[in-house]
Amino acid sequence: MRRVVITGLGPVSSIGIGASAYEAGLREGVNGVSPIACFDSTGFPYYMAGEVHDFRPEDMVRRLSVDEWGRTSLFAASAARLAVADAGIDEDELAAARAGSSMGTTGGESQVLERLTGDSLTAGLDGLDAGLVRQVSSARLSQAVNRELRLTGDAVTLSTACSASNYALGYAYDLIRTGEADYMIAGGADSVGRWSHAGFYRLGALTEKACSPFDKDRSGIITGEGGAAMFLESLESARARGARIHAEVLGYGLNCDANHMVAPNRDSIAECMRIAHRNAGVKASEVDYICAHGTGTPANDYVEASAVVDVFGENPPPISSTKSMLGHTMGAASGLGAIASVLGIAGSFLPPTINFNTPDPDMPKIDPVPNQARTADVRIAQVNGFAFGGNNAIVILGRPS
Amino acid sequence: MTLAPELSAESVPAPTGPPALAITGFGVLSGAGIGPQALAAAIGGHGAGPADVSGMFEEPLPRQDAHALVDFKVRDHLGRKGTSFFDRSTALGMVACKAALADTDLEVDDDNRARIGITLGTTAGSAKSTSDYSRDTFVQERPYLVNPLLFPNAVMNCAAGQAGIWYGLQGPNATIAGGPLAMLNVLRYSRNLIGCGYASALLAGSIEEFSPQAAWAVHYGQSTEGGSLPPGEGAAVFVVENADAVRAAGRRPDAEVLSVEVGVFDPPGPDGAFSQGLATCLTRALERAGVTADQVATVATAANGMTRLDEAEEAAVTSVLGSDVPRLRVKESTGEAFSASGAFQLAALLARHRTEPARDGEISVITARTAEGAAGAAVVRGWSRAGGDHG
Repeated sequence: MRRVVITGLGPVSSIGIGASAYEAGLREGVNGVSPIACFDSTGFPYYMAGEVHDFRPEDMVRRLSVDEWGRTSLFAASAARLAVADAGIDEDELAAARAGSSMGTTGGESQVLERLTGDSLTAGLDGLDAGLVRQVSSARLSQAVNRELRLTGDAVTLSTACSASNYALGYAYDLIRTGEADYMIAGGADSVGRWSHAGFYRLGALTEKACSPFDKDRSGIITGEGGAAMFLESLESARARGARIHAEVLGYGLNCDANHMVAPNRDSIAECMRIAHRNAGVKASEVDYICAHGTGTPANDYVEASAVVDVFGENPPPISSTKSMLGHTMGAASGLGAIASVLGIAGSFLPPTINFNTPDPDMPKIDPVPNQARTADVRIAQVNGFAFGGNNAIVILGRPS
Repeated sequence: MTLAPELSAESVPAPTGPPALAITGFGVLSGAGIGPQALAAAIGGHGAGPADVSGMFEEPLPRQDAHALVDFKVRDHLGRKGTSFFDRSTALGMVACKAALADTDLEVDDDNRARIGITLGTTAGSAKSTSDYSRDTFVQERPYLVNPLLFPNAVMNCAAGQAGIWYGLQGPNATIAGGPLAMLNVLRYSRNLIGCGYASALLAGSIEEFSPQAAWAVHYGQSTEGGSLPPGEGAAVFVVENADAVRAAGRRPDAEVLSVEVGVFDPPGPDGAFSQGLATCLTRALERAGVTADQVATVATAANGMTRLDEAEEAAVTSVLGSDVPRLRVKESTGEAFSASGAFQLAALLARHRTEPARDGEISVITARTAEGAAGAAVVRGWSRAGGDHG
């Protein structure tokens, strides 16, 4: 089995596009949440989201025609472009290699379907734009990455909701580890839309203005969007081409609560952490930082903190939530979390949990890295991802030795 | 139909790369009916053809026929309790999972349920559920007046998550949006999970529901590319395990998935680049399966009447396997069912093996392609259960 490293980062987020801008946003604890612009939020009691207002796909992709691809596919392809540029690999060399992509998502191109739904109310189902209908398939997210970069290997879209990027990262890691591929782009993408904003609101899971994970007064998520892409290759490959190695993928764990569609399960999440540690060959005591799923709902954060204490004991490593800054970017969430962790490993800092005011006395004692990023030596980081359907996925990243 | 070459277990060299997947049972619901026999009959030319779907939905449909399970009701299969909120996609997937579990000799119990998972393919989940959710935000008195109980249906991993709960499977639970490539993506993903030891068995399959949204999507796609195929729907789910482990335990698989190769190329067009890409996948699949072109008895193609894609696929198949190998055009019997189509191709081959012991040990190829340029091929070897040589 080959060792697998991350040599390129491509975040497209509400707090920064590109690794440098994203790292600066994380270090400063920037709030990426703003009033919704992509749809008319009139009539919605809550109207905030983590949109990427500065996203200009036409300035980022080169081969794809932006008119032919949905916003989520363009997030994926744009993030992939950034990751490849950051990896510093020659594009023709990459296109000729055994390379592919593995991207996660929750809603896929559901904002295209939403637009078609709106159109059908006025034009009828027989009056729709056939080109737009073609864009609905979520398979296109990874296919967009391959087409943009001329990758001729796997194109896989993992649609395991809010842990999907971790699934995607894990699969890409395996494909390289086992020799099935030489280079992989892994990450995820999602877009803000009316249906999910309404759904989370009615589920009682949406908060009004600010997402405050682990806080006593936390009251829910803010929907967000963006793209995350990481460039993966074998350690030998990275060394041979003199690439800058950001981090190593040590392993991952998957399991399923098989218990409830939306309520998280403490024992199952703890078990997923143990599986991830075992697969990665690390001990809980060696983990320096946990990038939390940390949605900001009362249930998730309590269950997550409790499971962490079950596995790590009374003094767990610092655990912070990038969702406090980004909102919940759904299928991109654990990918943006993984990139934040990689930056933390490479740059020796912990991203903060912003909007944190009051510790929750009913929650096990944790260190959420409140409000300010912190300098810290991060050798091993754990990225948590949980989802509807009890789809748990946890990735372990390490500093390359 | 040409006679299949006689094959013994010894004549097939050991596959290279990851372990082959054994299929130890499967369940299928297609427009041809419920179960393998109905599908085998349909591909043998004895199907009833598309059904009248004019009474299924309030919304207008582009045509009144489809390979749909018009009378399908989830409560007939899973009971009333806990099933009333399942959407059609989830219900079809759940029933296919149930049938697969009933068909396999793998027993699920408390000792192994953490090692048994689910990998299901889709295109965009239940497009109807998601679209209806969006619709409510436009037409309700207040845009947020959507039904929270239906929210999980609008998310793509609903079927896999519900199946995990229903059948108590705690292993890796994945959903892959692959459209027409979904089943091949699912097989590759499943092979990795099993080969790397994340799971010891998986329910691996793919689902597509019939709905007004799906009907119109088929209509726009077909009419743009000169086709006239009606829509289809259903699900097929296969119990997959490590082939070596199954044989070591003295069990007999229904089939082995010897190889699955996929890729993305420039979309089908006059330059022939896509055909070359698919041909590369097909050649690689044969090599990794350790079989030669002359050993292939059947090609289950993705042909659906969309000329540009059909011609590109046929050119690739002909260049690698020649023009004499019988083509099995499964979609003629099951309609255009996007992500379920690949699952139907596999299910059709297995259903035929089950009804025709003379085909024991035959090697078949499955091909898939999309308008976006994704392509893939799988090599499968199957047996009947009627005392055939299970290798």
